[in-house]
Amino acid sequence: MLNYNQPIKEEKSYQGLQIGEINPIMKLIIRGKKREFLSAAGKSLDMVLPTKANTSTQSEKLTALWLSPDEWMIFSNDVVKKNTNSYETEILLNKNISKLNLGAVVDVTDQYVRITLKGDKIYDLFETGSPFNFNEFRNKIGSVTQTIIAKIDVVIHNKNQNEVNLFVRRSFSKHLFSWMNDSASRL
Amino acid sequence: MFLINCPFCGEREQSEFKAGGEAHIVRPKQPTELSDDEWAEYLFMRKNIKGIQFERWNHAHGCRKWFNMVRDTSNDQIKAVYKMGEKPPVK
Repeated sequence: MLNYNQPIKEEKSYQGLQIGEINPIMKLIIRGKKREFLSAAGKSLDMVLPTKANTSTQSEKLTALWLSPDEWMIFSNDVVKKNTNSYETEILLNKNISKLNLGAVVDVTDQYVRITLKGDKIYDLFETGSPFNFNEFRNKIGSVTQTIIAKIDVVIHNKNQNEVNLFVRRSFSKHLFSWMNDSASRL
Repeated sequence: MFLINCPFCGEREQSEFKAGGEAHIVRPKQPTELSDDEWAEYLFMRKNIKGIQFERWNHAHGCRKWFNMVRDTSNDQIKAVYKMGEKPPVK
């Protein structure tokens, strides 16, 4: 995490809604199909990867999101140090997965921006620009979905009641943030 | 607009998917022995029927997995959705 330019520099508040970026957060994408991959990942992360569609698992330090039957996103629950871009979890996964040819580990810390949304108007905001039906999603804490908001690909994680993590590609983050602010101002 | 039941993620809106053309086209075992016309037939010619069609679809804005679908092109009714490599459940 060296020379990190934060794409979203401010936090915005509306009635029933707060939007802001959390950084720096370690983010990794891991891919693999074999059974050995799942057990190696479980051992390295000290948590079980979610195998059920659209779910997540959490440990004290990390959260794992289901992205597809052979792909997961791992991110750190807390912010990481700014003076390094080497992460213990990544080193451990590289050693136990990549080097043994069990799967792939990719550091996507700088590719994805984590935006948090808080408040009871989150889903009202999402519904203004997403084709996804959030009725079940909003009641299940830990749910994950990949969908489109304002034509932009996003990963949404229901972290808590009225608290959501949204991951978006860095190049789209400024535009999405500005779109969300525009939409939130009219809710 | 219609809903598609992705075999991995569940029911999603059509705009999350991309159509990938006709399914179950088998690559010729000896392409070098084919005439130009036969090769062009395999490579380019696709059915475009009004009625039941077997298609490949990709959940492009979701899990990014490919799957097969049986769709009635006249009314967009989806008869079946099944994973790659599986046999079609309807004829």
